[in-house]
Amino acid sequence: MSIVRRSQQWGTFARMWHVFDATWQDPYQSSQIIAKYLLGRHKPISHPMNRCGDHVVVINSSEIALRGDEWQMRVYFHHDTYHGGASWTKAWELHKKDPTMIMKKAVYRALGNNLTRHQAYARLHVFLDDKIPLEIQQNLSSQIKQLRPVPQRLDQISPEELENFPQIVKLPETYVLT
Amino acid sequence: MFRLRVCTRLAAQLPRAALVNQIFQREIKRSVRPVLIELTKRKRMQKNPISQPRNKWIDWNRDAELYAFNQRLSEKFKTDLLEQAFTHRSYIIQEEDERKKVGLESQLQLVDNQELIDEGKQIASLVVENYLNEVLPLAPRECILALKNYLLAEGNLAKTSSGIGTKDLILTAEYPVSEETLMNTFYALVSALNRSVDLEHVGKFIRDIVISTLAEKDLIEIWCPEDPMEILNDILDREGRAYAESRIIGQTGVNTLIPVYNIAVYSNKEFLGSGMGDSIEEAEKMAALNALLRMFDLLDSSKPISCNLPIRDAECNSSLESWKRSDKV
Repeated sequence: MSIVRRSQQWGTFARMWHVFDATWQDPYQSSQIIAKYLLGRHKPISHPMNRCGDHVVVINSSEIALRGDEWQMRVYFHHDTYHGGASWTKAWELHKKDPTMIMKKAVYRALGNNLTRHQAYARLHVFLDDKIPLEIQQNLSSQIKQLRPVPQRLDQISPEELENFPQIVKLPETYVLT
Repeated sequence: MFRLRVCTRLAAQLPRAALVNQIFQREIKRSVRPVLIELTKRKRMQKNPISQPRNKWIDWNRDAELYAFNQRLSEKFKTDLLEQAFTHRSYIIQEEDERKKVGLESQLQLVDNQELIDEGKQIASLVVENYLNEVLPLAPRECILALKNYLLAEGNLAKTSSGIGTKDLILTAEYPVSEETLMNTFYALVSALNRSVDLEHVGKFIRDIVISTLAEKDLIEIWCPEDPMEILNDILDREGRAYAESRIIGQTGVNTLIPVYNIAVYSNKEFLGSGMGDSIEEAEKMAALNALLRMFDLLDSSKPISCNLPIRDAECNSSLESWKRSDKV
């Protein structure tokens, strides 16, 4: 193999490092996207016999958003193998205990049930906020697009911006807004 | 139905005669396997295997084979020249010795091919170099010479020669025929064709049989410039442009065991080429190499060597020391 082909090969089979911001994202829908990157299904060289999965770093996992009443209704089951050892933990309880757990479990499930699962899962790095170790930060080279745009919260808008916001009607100062 | 019929017939004959030895068996006898294994083992153990060259067989018809050789290649070799091209000096010496042993005094009427070989070497070298210069006008002279050496190397020519079916036709003392003899036979054939038809036709013969094999090869494997950055800077300097400046345009997994760097070289903000590597130095070298190959039109994505150009004299490509893009474009 010539050095040109070797270099081409090295570039083709490079393991990329992607970052995914989980702020206000549904973990179960985002995990489908993340699993695709972890297994390398987004690459043209992807093949069941070809190990070409990438690393994904998920940040802000404590800021995830579950739909509807899922915080109360979704239950995580665990059994400690002793008699009467079954336990059901609600999503909000689990999230309180470990803010990365829901994201990790969602991706673990989305990876599918076969032998590639554990290797792919090892390439997932979940952090509860945006503080990630420098060593991992230096590896990053790409960003995965969020499923939904993060809306701006009313309490985060500055008073000057509220002042300058265009009004449809100029109300008299004596007018009382209920 | 047929089996039924056979069975009834057998049943009818049963009292009269002994059973006919008719066995319907699907498997191979159990004794066959160990016998074959033993035979193969003995064959491998044999130190000097019995050689059976095809041309020593009793049904070998040399004249017919020579005719077929001509027809197969669709060439118009003259028969006497073809006969001479296949006759090596060692064969004549061997034949004369054998004649002396028997007591025959008369001389052999065979001519050996040494003269043809020498002539063929010159012709082949000339044709290959001219054609490569024609077909790769932007490549430097070093590349052309390396490709020529590769094409006319002993192993390659021997393969080509046995590929067109000379192996059994060669008259030589040695068996199996050595690579050098196969190569020399090819040269002799080139010269014989030159004498039979003309030089232009020989050019086409060499182009179709030898040079066309380059189309499927990775040319960089055959020739790769050492220290590409220096060469690139020399060329840029000669063209009066700014020196190459390399920049990282992409990197991933820097702190892992398999980092990838993507580096591009620019001259005065103009993109020249880019390359990948596992370290910055490696990637920079690949980027410079990519820029050079882009200039020489030797990239993987550039057109493969065309094998249908007419054969004519071409002027030599300039060497790396004096290569300049402005001369060519």
